[in-house]
Amino acid sequence: MRIEVRTEGGLAYFPGLSKPVIVDSAQLAPADAAELERRVEDAHFFTLQAKYSEPPRGAADYRRYTITIEDAGRRHSVQYTDLDAAPELDSLRRLATELAHKQGGG
Amino acid sequence: MSLPTRFGRCHPIHCILPPYLLQNLARNGPPDLRNIALEVLALDSTIRSNRIICSMMETGAHPALAAVAKHRTVYTANNSTTLPGQVVRVEGQASSGDAAVDEAYDGLGATFDFYFDIYQRNSIDDEGLYLDATVHYGQRYDNAFWNGQQMVFGDGDGELFQRFTISLDVIGHELTHGVTDSEAALVYSGQSGALNESISDVFGSLVKQYQLKQTAEQADWLIGAGLFTDRVQGVALRSMKAPGTAYDDPLLGKDPQPAKMGDFVETSEDNGGVHINSGIPNRAFYLAATKIAGYAWEKAGRIWYETLRDTSLTQTTNFSRFAARTVINAGHLYGTSSAERQAVIEAWNEVEVRVV
Repeated sequence: MRIEVRTEGGLAYFPGLSKPVIVDSAQLAPADAAELERRVEDAHFFTLQAKYSEPPRGAADYRRYTITIEDAGRRHSVQYTDLDAAPELDSLRRLATELAHKQGGG
Repeated sequence: MSLPTRFGRCHPIHCILPPYLLQNLARNGPPDLRNIALEVLALDSTIRSNRIICSMMETGAHPALAAVAKHRTVYTANNSTTLPGQVVRVEGQASSGDAAVDEAYDGLGATFDFYFDIYQRNSIDDEGLYLDATVHYGQRYDNAFWNGQQMVFGDGDGELFQRFTISLDVIGHELTHGVTDSEAALVYSGQSGALNESISDVFGSLVKQYQLKQTAEQADWLIGAGLFTDRVQGVALRSMKAPGTAYDDPLLGKDPQPAKMGDFVETSEDNGGVHINSGIPNRAFYLAATKIAGYAWEKAGRIWYETLRDTSLTQTTNFSRFAARTVINAGHLYGTSSAERQAVIEAWNEVEVRVV
């Protein structure tokens, strides 16, 4: 399973933080890979709609996240913001980002 | 008592306890009553506004005569992403001892006072909007945002960023998004979005300058000074004086802000570069303020404020249109032959936004 997390927006634009982070579960320790896959399942990722609701008028400086997962011939992307973050999806994003940094992929 | 339908009828629950009693209970009451008082004080602003209006109508006073007063509520998300979270400090309460809570509370107050003292604006919407902020949002969350109704602050990750309440200009910046939304309502994309961002930087910086009583020459013109940890090679998120110079760090990259139209960045990222190209109008304001000299909030700030309220602005106003209106408003305020109007013209010309 390959997961890419892209983060945009926020109070300021930082070129170094806007690059996508990538984690490949095949390269992770078994326990980390299992936890990552569990969170993908908890989020029902492959059944989620591609984009959540548009931010309300007047909102500013929120972050927008795009998670793309490739697994066993399937590929799916989901986009959401700080304003409509589902806890399970956000938990998946945080773990994927943390493991990507550990793996040197971000 | 029968009230006009616009205000509804006063329910005893909303009219029975005077705010001073609730605030006394919140400050000094036993824990169970204190919590109840905090929850009541945190009720939605519509209910509270109606209560005030009910009270005034009973005494025959007109709502417009109501005293202007701050109504701040600070919540904690307890490191979740649930908003608004749990009430931790309401108007009139003493310091909580939690730096993020107290900085948010003080920053809301400083911003409210700035807008009222200088521009006679009654809170964000000029109608006395209650000010809400949530701190301790998310886990190691490196950001602050305005969700259209309230401010939200992360604690930072401690490696690159400290807590986001640490910079007063950031608090002023976020609340000014609410001001812009209730005035020009500039669309958050492309040039209108960069203007939206720039206006937040301008008044965020002025809130800080006003608190420090600094002239345009004395001010640092930085946005977010103090947010970075010592590990970051940089001084702030942005520099209005010298866009593109705020940081140059191995992890964060180099500050991408342009200082003039010739360097305008075409991009689909960041809502079309709203935090990037804001460097151009930011520097125009800095130049106008320093050419005029003295306290920037008095004249340059007034010109920008009146332009933000200018009904001829559209939601998709671009740099050129906004600049032209600042020149016109400078003429209205100080005269068509004034040094102030000339300073504004020269400022825009220097950043290559032609106005004359």
